[in-house]
Amino acid sequence: MIGRNVLVALFASALAVSMTSVAAQEVGSKAPAFDLPTATKPVRLADLKGQVVYIDFWASWCAPCKQSFPFMSEMQAKYGPRGFTVIGVNVDQKREDADKFLATTPAKFTIGFDTTSKVAEAYQPKGMPTSFLIGADGKVRAMHVGFKDSNREEIEREIQAALSAARK
Amino acid sequence: MKQFASVFTCAGALALSVALVGCSTVQPWQKGNLAKSEMSFDHDPLQTRFEEHTYFSKEGASGGMSVGGGGCGCN
Amino acid sequence: MKTGSILAAAMALPGMLPSAHAQVTVPNATLIQFKYLYYRDYQDSGNRITVKSPALYLLAPISESWVFEIGAVYDNITGASPYYHTVLSGASGEGVEDKRAAGDITVTKYFGRTAISARAAYSTEDDYKSVAGGLTLRHATPSQNTTFTLGAGYSSDKISPADGPVFTRTKTTVDGIVGITQVLSKNDTAQVNLYYAQQRGYLTDPYKALFGVDQRPDKRDQMAALIRWNHYFEGLKASLRTSYRFYHDDWEINAHTGTIEWAQELPYGFTLTPSVRYTSQSAAFFYYDPVYDAALGPPFPPGYLNNPNGFYTSDQRLSAFGGITPGIKVAKSFVGGWSIDAKAEYYEQRADWRVGGEGSPGLQDFKAQLYQVGVSKKF
Repeated sequence: MIGRNVLVALFASALAVSMTSVAAQEVGSKAPAFDLPTATKPVRLADLKGQVVYIDFWASWCAPCKQSFPFMSEMQAKYGPRGFTVIGVNVDQKREDADKFLATTPAKFTIGFDTTSKVAEAYQPKGMPTSFLIGADGKVRAMHVGFKDSNREEIEREIQAALSAARK
Repeated sequence: MKQFASVFTCAGALALSVALVGCSTVQPWQKGNLAKSEMSFDHDPLQTRFEEHTYFSKEGASGGMSVGGGGCGCN
Repeated sequence: MKTGSILAAAMALPGMLPSAHAQVTVPNATLIQFKYLYYRDYQDSGNRITVKSPALYLLAPISESWVFEIGAVYDNITGASPYYHTVLSGASGEGVEDKRAAGDITVTKYFGRTAISARAAYSTEDDYKSVAGGLTLRHATPSQNTTFTLGAGYSSDKISPADGPVFTRTKTTVDGIVGITQVLSKNDTAQVNLYYAQQRGYLTDPYKALFGVDQRPDKRDQMAALIRWNHYFEGLKASLRTSYRFYHDDWEINAHTGTIEWAQELPYGFTLTPSVRYTSQSAAFFYYDPVYDAALGPPFPPGYLNNPNGFYTSDQRLSAFGGITPGIKVAKSFVGGWSIDAKAEYYEQRADWRVGGEGSPGLQDFKAQLYQVGVSKKF
């Protein structure tokens, strides 16, 4: 009888511990700085001051990432001239895995390679992919975990709102 | 019935220890290897069906993976 | 005449599988898979059953939270199983033919990190029809490192043997499963399942009852505990999959089953997977060895006349034995989501392969070969 109670207590605490989620970068907080290598020269958040930045954490093994790329390329083309930059932060530990993905799913936006996961650890994305919209003031305005086609409209509206806020 | 109870308790304790060990959280960006289909528990649905069906038909033991499988007159 | 070829034993078909991964996330790709099985079993004194089965599987997300799955299989069976023990019919088994068609549909709804699935299945052959259903609930923690699974199933079978006295009997099965899938490290995932089933009704094999002595209880309570562990070796680029299942029922069959698979990634999209499975089971309490009554002769067990309404079976499947299945699989994946695979396995049962060595004596070793070829496409 005691044994069973102990078992129940242990099971309950295991459940509780496993349920604690790790906090992602909260909306409203200051976006952590980063300095990432790209195919050309490094990209730094500090260099993008004044721009609206859309950071998307992706990996070659993440299925919904394939769907999100054409959308992000479209947003970069549409809003780039207004001071908008998309950065796809790749978290593959091997650069070649990312390159293989990019060969079949090209990106018309900057790709940063976070092979040591330092930027991922700073931003703590809750799932793959996760995107963070950073306003011109350097604060996180919105966050999306996962990517579905139905997210497109909402994300585009958030980008437009961020750009309007930047002009003020 | 006693044997059922003791086996369930043992398996429950085992499940518990598996859950406890797993309390070091693996982050979403670290799950590249786990995403491989070979690391999944059912990476080939039809192969699993064929093999489970064969062993159900030729042995006295069965079960543990699924529910609601119907029967068949398989010899 | 279907001389013992198809028999209405309480054989369960694969049902709804709990979480394949620890994650509970909506799949966003459609998958179509076709596979063909060629199966042949035999013993030293002759051939037994040959089965040729084409099968199809489809998984399609219908919307952002609904997923639809369909499975279908068509078994072409020829040959004959033993009348009793390992005594085959006089005929070589040619001309004895049977077909079985089965299909199932599963609908899953996702609510964030929770998924509910409902499955309906139907199987039909000349002398056996089965309708089954199941409901499964899966829930993942926020980190998606732990998934809890709960499932319940029901099946109702109708047995109408084509040989011997005409009758229709039924058998019902209720089963349940509870499980945890846990991510243990970036290279490890494990699963523990507890399974319980209750069978009630006609559990005897009508063909073995016709040609031998086969009288089984009308109830069977079963339980199984399964643990599976997958480990990825980064340096070697290989996955090691292991599992162990303990089975026990109130027919006094206890079984231990272990499997080991090594999936080795090779260049050009090839994967080579050698595997081995070992099982050891005790005999049902009413299984009798091939020693027959002095007066009545085979197939009657000794003392049958003193207890003609007792429980008896000479079915090799309910005897004590150990079985080993080595296998090898080759798969190749292509750009564009196509892949092909081929697998060969050899399966043998022997009395003295049982753990401890004390299997049921006097039976010919059961031998089987399984060959599978498949193709799949992910959209």
